[in-house]
Amino acid sequence: MFDQGAEAHRRQDQPRLSVVAGADPATPEALLHRTALGEDDAFAALYDLVSGRVYGLCLRIVRDPAQAEEVAQEVLVEVWRTATRFDERRGSATAWITTIAHRRAVDRVRSAQAAGERERRAAAESAEPEYDQVAEAAAGRLEHRQVRRCLKTLTELQRQAVTLAYYGGHTYRQVASLLDAAVPTVKSRIRDGLIKLRDCLEVSR
Amino acid sequence: MTTDEHTLIGAWALDAVDAGERELVERHLDSCASCAQEAAELREAVARLADVTIAEPPPRLRDSVLAEVRRTRQEAPVAAPGEAPESARDRRRRAPRSRSGTHRAHRLRLALGAAALAVVAAFAGVFATWSVMQQPGGEGDGSPIAAVLEAPDAEVAYKEADGGGRVTVISSDSLDDAVVVVSDLAAVGDDRSYQVWMVDEAGQVSAGVMDPGDSSATMLVEGLGDTQVIGVTNEPAGGSAAPTLPMVADVALDA
Repeated sequence: MFDQGAEAHRRQDQPRLSVVAGADPATPEALLHRTALGEDDAFAALYDLVSGRVYGLCLRIVRDPAQAEEVAQEVLVEVWRTATRFDERRGSATAWITTIAHRRAVDRVRSAQAAGERERRAAAESAEPEYDQVAEAAAGRLEHRQVRRCLKTLTELQRQAVTLAYYGGHTYRQVASLLDAAVPTVKSRIRDGLIKLRDCLEVSR
Repeated sequence: MTTDEHTLIGAWALDAVDAGERELVERHLDSCASCAQEAAELREAVARLADVTIAEPPPRLRDSVLAEVRRTRQEAPVAAPGEAPESARDRRRRAPRSRSGTHRAHRLRLALGAAALAVVAAFAGVFATWSVMQQPGGEGDGSPIAAVLEAPDAEVAYKEADGGGRVTVISSDSLDDAVVVVSDLAAVGDDRSYQVWMVDEAGQVSAGVMDPGDSSATMLVEGLGDTQVIGVTNEPAGGSAAPTLPMVADVALDA
C-alpha cells in the first residue's frame, strides 16, 4: 500500500555510486583522501571547495548566521577528524560532507526546539527555498538549475514533504502535522519523491 | 525486514527520523545490501538539494576552522574487512572512543552461529574447558566470537537480571573484544528493545540494540577499551541515545 512502485526497484541492480578518485588531485574525493593522511594543505583546499556548501546549508536550516557559523565549524572539523572513515564505495565525498552538515544542523535545530527556544513558524514558512542570489553567484549554476527543475517534477505533496523535511529540518511526523496529512502517507511520499528526484538528477547529469 | 523500516529509508535520507528510527533503519541497512544501495542513492540525490543553498561563509571561519583542525586529532580508520587481525585490533586500541553512537553499527554484530551459541551457553553457568570450542569445522571456528572464547586471557562474568534471565560477558583484554550473551530476560513487547551499553569512567556508549521484542541474543562487542561495566537497559524499540535507568543488569568486568 505504500506504492513502492516499479521504479523503486528498477535500478537496484545498477551500482553506480562508486566514485573512482581519478588522476585529478583536486576532486573532493582525492582531497578527502589526502586529508585522511593528515595533510593540512589538502584539507585547506577541501575547505575552499565545500565551505560554501556547508555554511549555506547550515544557514538555511538554523537561520541565525552566528549559529550557522558555529555549526559549520563543527561540521568542517568533523570532516577533518573523520576523513579516515570516508569510504568512497559508499558514496561521493560531497554527499558525505553534506550529510554531516545536514545532520549537525538538524540536531542543532531539534535541540533548540526541545528547549523551547525555536519559533516553529519561521521554519515552516521558509521551507521552500527562495531564489538565492548568493547561491546563484556561487559555483554550480548548472547543478542549481537541475535541482530546481527536478524538484518541479515532483507532485505538490512530494515536493512539500521533501523540502519541509530537508530545508526545514522537520521530522516526517512534524511534516505530516504541518501539512495536515496522514503520517504513513507523508513517509511514503518522501520516499517516492526522493526516488523521482534521484532519477531526474541522474538523467540530467 | 519490515515494510516499516523500508519505507523509512526516504525519511532517514532526509534526517527526518528520530534517533530510535535512525538506529532501526541503519541496522536494517547493515543486513540488506539492496536497501543499502537504495539508501546510498537517495543520500546522493538528497545531497544535491544543498546545491541551491550555497552561501559564502564569513572569511574568519576559514582561519578558525584551520586553527581548530591543527589541534584536533584524527580518528583511526575503521578496520577494513580481510585486514590482518592484529593490525586491525591495534588500530582499534588507539582509536578514540566514539561517544556519538554514529559508528555503533560497526561495533556489534549479532552472532547467528548455533555452535557458538551452544558453547557460550555452557560458559554462562560454569567455567567449561576451552577445548569445547576446538570442534574441527565447527561453525564457530575462526569467527570473532570463537576467537574471544578461545583467547587465553578470556574472563567470564555474569549477572542475574532484574525480572529474570541473565547477562554473561566473556571478555578478552588482548583482543579488546567481548561476547555478550543475553538470555531469557523478562519478555517485552514489539515496542521495546533491550539495549547493551559499554560503560567506563567517561560515560556510556551503546554497544548495540537487540531486535524489538527479543529477550535473548548473543553478540560480539568490539573495541572494549577501558569498559568497566556492560549494562543492559530496556528502551523503546530501536534503542535510545542515552540509557533509561535503572539498568536491567550490569556486569562488572575485571579491571
